Parts: sequence; structure tokens; C-alpha cells
Amino acid sequence: MSGRRDTLARAIAEQEERLLNCVHCGFCLPACPTYRRLGDEADSPRGRLYLMQAVVEGRLDAGSDAFQTHIGRCLGCRACEPVCPSGVEYGNLLELARQVGGEARRSPLLARLILRVFGTDWLARPAMLAGRLLRATGFPAFAARALPGEHRPGRQRASHEDGNEPGPVARAAGAARLGLAMLAASAPARELFHKRPASHSAREVRPVPARGNGQTRRERLGPPRGGGQAPTVALLTGCVQAGLFSRVNEATARVLSANGYRVVTVAGQGCCGALHAHAGALEAARVMARRNVRAFEGAEADFVAMNASGCGAAMAEYGSLLAEDRTVGERARDLAGRVLDVSRLLADRGPVAGAPLPLRVTYDAPCHLLHAQGVADSPTRVLESVPGLEVVPLPGAAECCGGAGIYGLTHPRLGGWIGSDKVRSVLDTGADALVTGNPGCVMQIGAGLALAGSRIPVVHLVELVDESYRRAGFYAG
Amino acid sequence: MIPDTLTRSLAEICGPGGVIVDEDRLLVYESDALTAYRHRPGAVVLPRTTAEVQGAVTAIARHGLPIVPRGAGTGLSGGAVALDGAVVVGTARMNRILEIDAANRRAVLQPGVINAELSAAARPHGLYYAPDPSSQTACTIGGNVAENSGGPHCLKYGVTSRYVTGLTVVLPDGSVAKLGGRGREAPGYDLVGLFVGSEGCFGIATEIEVGLLPLPEGVRTLLGIFDRIEDAGRAVSDIVSAGLLPAAMEIIDGPTIRAVEDSVFAAGYPTDAEAALVIEFDGLEAGLDGETARAAEFCRRAGAREVRRARDEAERMALWKGRKKAFGAMGRIAPDLLVQDATVPRTTLPAILKGISEIGKRYDLVVANVFHAGDGNLHPNILFDRRDEDELERVERASKEIMQLCVDSGGTITGEHGVGLDKKHHMPLIYGAAELDAMWGVRRVFDPSGVMNPGKVLPEETAPGWPGHGEGRGAAEGEGAGVAEPAVAAMAPP
Amino acid sequence: MSTATAPAAVAQLLPGNRVLTGAAASEWSGGRAVEAVLFPTDTDEVRALVREANETGTDLLPAGNGSWLDAGGWTGVRGGVVVSTARLDTLFHYEPADLTLTAGAGLGWRKLAAVLEPNGQWLPWDAPGAAAGTLGGAVACGGSGPLSARYGAIRDNVLGLEVVTGDGRLLRIGGRVVKNVAGYDLVRLFTGSRGSLGVITRVSVRLFPRPEADMTMVFEGGVERGLEVARAVRTTSLPVAAAEMDIRGGGASGRETRVVVRVLGSREEAEEVCSRLAAEIGAAPAGTMRGGESDVFHRRRSVWEERSPVVVRLAALPDQVAVTMRWAREVARRTRGEIAADVLGGVVRVKGSPADDGTAELAAVLMRARRDVEAVGGTMTLSRAPQAVAATAGWAGGGGGALVQRIKSLFDPGSVLLSRCP
Repeated sequence: MSGRRDTLARAIAEQEERLLNCVHCGFCLPACPTYRRLGDEADSPRGRLYLMQAVVEGRLDAGSDAFQTHIGRCLGCRACEPVCPSGVEYGNLLELARQVGGEARRSPLLARLILRVFGTDWLARPAMLAGRLLRATGFPAFAARALPGEHRPGRQRASHEDGNEPGPVARAAGAARLGLAMLAASAPARELFHKRPASHSAREVRPVPARGNGQTRRERLGPPRGGGQAPTVALLTGCVQAGLFSRVNEATARVLSANGYRVVTVAGQGCCGALHAHAGALEAARVMARRNVRAFEGAEADFVAMNASGCGAAMAEYGSLLAEDRTVGERARDLAGRVLDVSRLLADRGPVAGAPLPLRVTYDAPCHLLHAQGVADSPTRVLESVPGLEVVPLPGAAECCGGAGIYGLTHPRLGGWIGSDKVRSVLDTGADALVTGNPGCVMQIGAGLALAGSRIPVVHLVELVDESYRRAGFYAG
Repeated sequence: MIPDTLTRSLAEICGPGGVIVDEDRLLVYESDALTAYRHRPGAVVLPRTTAEVQGAVTAIARHGLPIVPRGAGTGLSGGAVALDGAVVVGTARMNRILEIDAANRRAVLQPGVINAELSAAARPHGLYYAPDPSSQTACTIGGNVAENSGGPHCLKYGVTSRYVTGLTVVLPDGSVAKLGGRGREAPGYDLVGLFVGSEGCFGIATEIEVGLLPLPEGVRTLLGIFDRIEDAGRAVSDIVSAGLLPAAMEIIDGPTIRAVEDSVFAAGYPTDAEAALVIEFDGLEAGLDGETARAAEFCRRAGAREVRRARDEAERMALWKGRKKAFGAMGRIAPDLLVQDATVPRTTLPAILKGISEIGKRYDLVVANVFHAGDGNLHPNILFDRRDEDELERVERASKEIMQLCVDSGGTITGEHGVGLDKKHHMPLIYGAAELDAMWGVRRVFDPSGVMNPGKVLPEETAPGWPGHGEGRGAAEGEGAGVAEPAVAAMAPP
Repeated sequence: MSTATAPAAVAQLLPGNRVLTGAAASEWSGGRAVEAVLFPTDTDEVRALVREANETGTDLLPAGNGSWLDAGGWTGVRGGVVVSTARLDTLFHYEPADLTLTAGAGLGWRKLAAVLEPNGQWLPWDAPGAAAGTLGGAVACGGSGPLSARYGAIRDNVLGLEVVTGDGRLLRIGGRVVKNVAGYDLVRLFTGSRGSLGVITRVSVRLFPRPEADMTMVFEGGVERGLEVARAVRTTSLPVAAAEMDIRGGGASGRETRVVVRVLGSREEAEEVCSRLAAEIGAAPAGTMRGGESDVFHRRRSVWEERSPVVVRLAALPDQVAVTMRWAREVARRTRGEIAADVLGGVVRVKGSPADDGTAELAAVLMRARRDVEAVGGTMTLSRAPQAVAATAGWAGGGGGALVQRIKSLFDPGSVLLSRCP
């Protein structure tokens, strides 16, 4: 116990200012999806920070049920950070707490397995390939619907409102069901774009000069490194993104080019390590971060474009993750400073308008874009730039969808509860499609919608822009 | 620890997940937003309905254990701290708005509804809920009822008790009483008014009926920047004497300005100023500009270095955010703070502010003031680090002097935070034995066996025979064993 | 008549020139048979009287100017002695810049207004009868008038009280600052307790700046038209300070109803509210009063109920006005009465006088009225009524539960204070 305590104590001693900053005001409580649903303060950010402090003070064992359960139940959505008047860096503290918790007690097999796969190239690539092949058979969509499940919108909450997860068998079945549905949901939304062919000439709209206005200071970009030339952008291709969403990566490259960016490819990059960091596997995360720092250095890009906000948030924090590393620490900070979500890069250029997309869509803000990176207006501005697109507001858009990395697999009931609330909210808007900016959210909400019997597709923001540009003929030669 | 039989009955009433008895999990319920007081409850129960509260209260009372109601735990007086292993009855799961009756401008809700969310729900009807404590994004209406909460806009609109028109309450004996309701007219004693502000000592409100107001058509927000805080205080007095009735008038002093500007809620106050005075007018568009201009003139005449008007809604919101999150932002200056809540006659403001600043200097302490100047409701925040024992001692003495200064000027010890655990020993500063005895009497009317929130509001020594004291209850745990026991002494970490 | 000596024992505590007995006492009390009327001049005297009453078992009836002693319905069976606080009329503290005032309970409304007016301030209390009585009387009766929609009820504006409880304890509760949550809110408990818990001897109140403009629009028409206008006023989001609907006579002349709308604020704002409201209503007012004219008009209205043998108050949520109004009209028809309805507050008042042979019928109507109004969650109170009517119809609904009884015995264990409350 004392060793563990020392780890956290040391880790937190370095962060002492951050933890002591918490004045216990409670402003974070209503922002927390788990507290809102369970009503237990131990499931609130303030409560979790208090448990961390108790471990530091030696009043609580990091292996205790209380610490394990409540730190484990955190989605890591970081919705508590923007509302904290004291500026407590909750996300960082959570990763430390998870590390300490993980040292005190082994995390579940499934979680360890997933981290291992994503952290190992020779496991990840075949896994993704298998996923694609399986997805192509159409079996996952079918099987997910066929498997019995607990969560459908409108069902009674009695079984899960206490936050207790089911037994191992039910949990395995739930994980399988959700996993299959998520895989199915990663498929392209072909029907959305092909059901309603555009009725107008595709050649009317041409690229227009870039412009930037209306953004918040935080979201406005500085001039490119190379002075007046087109800024160079490197793209993180990612693991899941490369494996299951290569179309999104391709679309990202196309729409950035159409907006005047010079897109370069970067070899030798890999998984960003976000899943590992969030789970407290900080050493594994650092290994992956170092690799990416080295890979991206060579590209000398002005910006590193991110189309997975979970990865964006993680890379933007490489500086603090590798702060202790004398060899790459400085370079990691430099890389982190150039990481930008694709929506920001596009919004800074206007973006260029394409052909009309006569669709009604609604937008769900990924937590790691909105809360962790503070990007609020850019995605909206990008959507508004697409002619003919009707954007209806999504009530609760700022709340986590329950995806939260592998949360849906580790906490099927609570994650399912949060997810089904999101699904209900989406269904109530009557939108043709849900737009978001993170593969995890695409799969989580997509799975939820499919399991609820809905055919509403979930698409990435750049897919819409890309389709609009395609119809406008931007890529036709 | 509570007896297993009680755990079982509570689990039957509120569901197994609605009862928390694991000592480790109970740690997080040790404190409210005043972390000076830490006491682990015997258990926490989270009911959903009036019937569940009734069942829980009956079961706990049958075991002779004390009961502490708790909302979001954002209180600043230790009111929701469970002394002597009391069982906390939390309202977090009672968060449904039961009815918004736009035609009659009223709403009926459960106590766990968050203040700001009530206003958000009323907004589509063109209505809002007027009392706006600075913690309104997190605090619950049930907590507001218990504390009779105020807020910046209470200058014009009045505090919580003006808006609560009816209550369903579970009394300590487990019976349910309906007080008032369906509008403001109720013959007989104003039991609703008596219950509001009773700090959880009379029972638990499980359904609350409140009045709503139409949203004002226009708002103007002014910011006066002063080099001396007394000048800001004078501007406030002058504005009021001139017959202007702003919706709010708030002063933020130099140290607070610097803390806020350093936080994510930076409002654009100049960091070298010694006071920022925020003045807001609301109402019909017509006439607002004239009133704002007059108030601006009073600021200039009182010596404002600069007077600005929020140009748009975004600027206005930022300006208010800075004010409302000021308390939390103090966490950036020092690890600990002691917030006071005295209210003084408005005309004494300049003298009191000067006095507080002198006391701070004398004890070599940073005192950050942020307060509802229009109401004369001061919030001197004494900043310190509890690890420094000498400083702790000085905080204690300065705190007492400030309190005395305010009372001597005709003020009171608490304007909106409540007495709770923190200020009960200051009650004799403003009330004599007869008044305290009368309050004990009323408390007994609601709670003859002394199970509701014992150890709060009234100092035990003023009613020696009170059953609520129990064996070692309250006073024995280190907090305020005697009248002179300073509030700050308890701040040392356990 | 053993009880006759007890009041005498109480009365003899004061010099003869501050005691009324016999016919003079009855006359002062509006015809009510009381043993004596006493006029203490300080709090100590009040305490002495209350203690003596406890010793001798004398019933005390706390009063201000005594303007409502004829209303009937007091508890207690013995004759009783009136303790009037009318001579406790010292102005202790008035700081205009603080907008607060502390005075003896007997400070009369006119004297108060004379003090406040030069400073451009006022106490916007328009509860029935307030303008004819004393500060303490208004607090003891609690209540609210049409202006409470804008300024809150009386209980929202009392900051502190000094009271002598029924068992002779002196309590100073609340304070003189506008925000105070120290301890339980006994001020609210005593406000509106109608003297049943103690004699209020000193009052601290919150004042308001007198608005620059005071305007009153009067709309006239038939009953149906009046209800339409009232609905428009009730649902507007414009800042209307107060609104009442009056119905005179039972006929259908087409002009028997008027809606009186009061607007307060800066000149610019008030003019704007009036013109926009008229547009929302879709008609120009029959007349508009401004400034002093408007003020005097409303001051006169606040004594609207005085001297009517029957005054009934029907209260329900504003959108239940159909129910309260229907019964108010039934009562008015049987009493040749008039109706004044607070449009924003949902209180409908009727005043009138029943025909000599109509009391039984009136009582029957009132019983049905009570049943219907209470069915929609409302209340019916007889402010003033002949004993025979009230005996059947009841003064107020409910009866106060155990809490009320326990509070009463906490402060008045000897039950010496006569009151209609609880």
C-alpha cells in the first residue's frame, strides 16, 4: 500500500497545485454524466478528486473497492474541466489515478487485451483487417440485433440505475453485442449520399479564396511557418481510423487540399496512445508517443491534422505526457502545439463551399474535441458552410455519448444507459444523419441507433464536406 | 456504521444502489463546499420520491440516528456535514421538474433540481426563476430552500423565500405535511416562510412550488473600474440614494480581480485596479439606457477611473462568469480560504471596507472581497495555507474582528450562506437568550426528538436539555466545543 | 361576573388617560363589546399588560388603530381587552440611503408617508386597509395587495420585528439589513399571525425608491370584455406593476366592468408599457391617470373594503379566475355588492351587505363557493361577515394542523391572545 501511495503521492506531489486547486465548490457535479445518472457524489469529479486526495493522504487504499469502482466509472469525458473555476486539470489527474489504481489491482482481462492489441502493430493490423472482412459480410449487424440485450431506448432503468454492472456472462454477451454493433456502425453510410442524388449541376461551384472570420480567439490560427505559402498539414492516420475509417482519412486529405492546404503523408507513425493513457497505462502511452514525435518531426508540417478527437486531445498533451523525457520532451511539446482538429483547419479557411447537400443533420460534440480541446464553434461553422444542409440542434450535444474509448465494453450497463439517452435525443431531432468528429463516437452512437432499430447513419464531419465537394466536381480532374 | 437492519430496510425502500454504507465511499460526503469541516456520515441514502424519503426518515428515526439532508453539497457553512455518524438523505436523484405552469407563472419540482436548470426549462415559456446564487449552475433548489439563498439579482427581485409558494415536507417523525401551495395566498401562519431557511432542521422538502418571472426584455451591464474600493462602495450608496433600482450591484476587489483574470473565466477586468463594480439594469428596453447613463455618472463622480458598458451578450456573460466563479478562482491564490457572509447597512460600506482592509494589513493576510454591494452583503475571503500554523492563528483572529466590525455597524452574521456548523457560535453576537430560546422552541415544534441536522444553526449551550445533542453529538467532535471555539481551528487537516 | 375584575387588573397598569372603558371602548372598537381599550406607550408597558393578563386570565386583543375590530370572528368567549399599539409611534431609525426604516408598531400610514415622500421613497404596501392603519397592524395582518406582484407581499419586506409574545417574552428578531439568514425566520412567522402569537411593538422594513412615473390606465366595458382585457394583462410579458378588475352592480349596462392597470418605472419605460399594452389589448384605455392622480386613486382603493358588512376573499391560481369570478358574482348578486379582482395575483374580493332576510341564503352560497374554490386548490376567507353567516360558512378553510397548534402554544401557552388565527 505504501508503495502505491508513494507513486500517486509522488505523481500528485508534482501536480500538487492542480489537486489543491480544487476548492470543493461542486460546480462540476452537474456536468458529469455519471453523477447525473447515479446521484452518488463518489461518481462525480469532485468526489473522485477527493478519493485521489484521500489516497495521497494515506486514508484510502488505491486497491479499495471505492477507489477502483469510482475511478473506473469515470468516462474521462472531461466535461468537468471547462466548468471548473479553479482550473483543476482533471484529465491528467485521472490518468495518474488510473495508473495507481492499475498497479494496485489488475484491470479486467478484456480491457488489458484491447490495450495490448492497439499497442502492438503486428496484432492491430490483422485485427483491423479481420474487422473489415467481418464487417463486409454483414454478419455483425445481423448478429448484434439477434443477441439478447438489456438496452433499448425507453426501457425501464431499474436494472442499471444503481451503476452496478451485470455478472461475467451477461457482461460478455453485452460486450459482444455492442462490439458487433460498433463494427457494423463503422461501415460507410452509402445510403445517405446515394438515396437522394443532387438535383443540380455539379459544376456551378468552384473553390473560392480562403477566408477566416467569426472564430473565437482560441480557435483562430496563426500564420503558417513558411510565411505566405500554403500551410503544410500532416495527417495522423491513427489505428482504428486507418483500420476501419480509411475513407475518413482520405476525405480529410481531399477537403484539406481543396481548402488550400498542402497535405503530406508521414511514414512511421502509429497509434497515438490515447486509450492507454486514459486507462492509466502511461508507460505504454509514452512509448507510442515517442514514436509519433519522431515520425512527425521529419514531415516539418505547419500543422498536424486530426480527424479523431480522442487522438487529437491525446497528442495535444504529448508535452505533459513526456515532460520528464529529456530526449524528446521539448520536441513533444513542439509537436503538441501544432496539433489541430480538422474542423479548425477548415473553419479557418471559411471553409470553401461545395455543392448543396439537401439533408437535415444534427451534430454531436465529441467530448475530447469540445471539453478537452475547447473546440466549440469550428464544427458548426464547417456545417453551416455546406449549402443546403439543415443543421438542427441536438439537445444534450455537449454530453458524452457513453462511448468513451472502451467504456461501452467495460461498463455495458452504465455506458448503455448514457448511450441510449443520446440515441433518444438524436431520434427526437428527426435528422437524416448524425454528424460527429470521432470514430469512437461514430461507432458508439451508430451502434446505439442500430440496436434501437433506427437506420439513421452516423458520419464524420469531413465525409459530409467531402461529399459536397465531390458533387461540386472539385475532384473531377 | 449503521446497524445492518437499518441498511436492509433502507435498501428495500430506495433500492440497493440507493444506500451507501461502505466507509471508503462515504469519504466523499465528509464535507460540503466548506472543507474546514470533515465528518464522515454513517450512511448515505438516495431516495427518489416523497414516499421513499418518508420511508427512509421513518426507518432512520426508528433507529434513533440523526438525519442530515444534502443537495449538491455546494453550501458554504458546513450545513450538510453529518455529525456523529448521522445518515445523509441526499436529493440528487430527486431531480425532476414535475410541472411548469406557464399560465400561472409557477413550477413544481423535486428538491434535487438544479437552480440554473429550472430557469433553462422555464425559458421556452418566456419565464425564469429569479434567485440566482453564484453556485446556480450546481446548487439545488432544495438546498436553496434550506438556506434561503440569495444571489446578485436579489437586490431587485428578493431572495428565495419570496418565490417559494408551497412545500411538501417530510417531517422528522416521518409524517408528510403540505404547506401552502397553488399560489401565494394561504391563510394562517406563513409556515412556508418559516420552513425556508431552516437549514434542514425542520424536515426535508420533497416537492417545491415556486413562482417564475417573465424574462426581462433588455439588460444593460456596466463595469466601473476603481483605484480605491471605498470609492466603489460610495458609488453604490449614491446610486441607491438617487432612487435607481439596478437588478444587481456587485463589487470585486483587487485580489479577486487578479484571481479571476488568471482563470479560464477571465472577464477582462484590468488587473491593476482595486475594485470593479458591476451594475446591471434590466426591464423594458425603453428607459434602460437612461438609467445606465445615470449610474455611470455616479461611478465617475465617485472616482471611477473608467466606466465601460458590456457591448454584447457574450461580453456580459463573461463579465458575470468572472463574478460568479470568483469563489472557485480563489483556489489559484491560496490552498485554503475562509469565506464570510456578513450583511451590513449599505451606508456603512465604505467604512467597513476600509476596516476590513486595515484588519487584513494588521494580520498580514490577503483578504479578497467579492460581494453583493447593493444589499450590503459582504463576502470577505481570507486566503491562507493551513499548513502554516502562525498564519492559521492570525486568520482566526482577523476573522473574528471582521465579524465583530460588521455586527457593530448594525449588520448580521450571515446574509445568504446560512449559519450551519460554521457560524452557530456567532449567533449570540446578534441574538440574546430569549431569541435563541424561541428558535429552539420552534425547532422543537418540528422536531421534538432532535433528529434533524443536529449540531447546526443554534449553539448547544443555549439549550442544555435538547435531546438532539445526544451523547457526544456535535460538540464532541472537535468543532466548536465551546462558544469561543474558533471556526478556523477545525481547518487543520485531520 | 368574576371575569370583570381581571380586565380591570390589567387596565389599572396604565394611567386613566390611556384607558377607554364602557361605551367609549365599544365605540373605538367599531361596536364590538370589549371591556377596555388600552394604549401603552412603550414596550415595557406592553410586557406588563401581557404578563398581568396571563396572571389574571384576561383575554387580550392586539390592535393598531382598531379599524377591523368590527370584522368579527375572534376566538375566545370572554369579553377581552384591546391592546392598541397606536401610541407606540416613534420613528427610531430612518436612513434613506439604506432604504430601511425602523419605527414603533403604531406609526400611522399618513405619518409614515410624510416622512418618506421628501426622500422620494415609499413603502409599496397596498394590502386591504393598510393605508388606514398602522405599520404594526399591516404587518400583523400580513396579506398582500395588487402591488405585491411587483414588490412582493408584506412578509417579503419586513426585515425585523420586536414582539412581546403571548407569555410576555420580549423578542427582537431579524434585523435592519436587507439580507439576513441568521437563524430561523421568525419574522415571517409573526408577520401575518394576526396578533395570535404576540403583540408587535416595533418594525423594521425595507423601503423602495418611488418610481419616476406612476401611470394608471382604465379600460371599461361589459363583464366579458373585462375578462378578455384581464387575460391580456395577466399574460403579457410587459412589466405591469398591478392590475385589478372591478365589477359594479349586477346589471349588464356594458360599462359595469373596468380593468385598472398600474404601471411604474422611469417615464420613458412607463409610457412605452402603456402604449404597447394598449396595442396588445387592442383598445385604447377610457382614461389614463398620471403621477399624483394615479397615486391618490390607488390609495383610495386600498380602503375599498372598509365598513362593508360582508367582505369575502376568494383566491386561486390566476387561470382559475372563472371559478372564483363565478362565485364572486353569485355573492355580489346576493349582497348588492361589488367585485375587485387582483388580475395578477388571482385574488377576487367581494364586498356588500346582505338583505336582512338573506343571510341564510348567503351562507348557503358561500358554502358552495368554498367547496368549488377549494376543489381547484384555492381558498376562501371571510374578511368580514355577520356572525350568523360565518358560523355556517366558516371564516377560513382548513383549521391549521398540529404544527400550527404547537406554534400557538409555544408563544401563547396561556392562550390569552384573541385572534382569528389560527
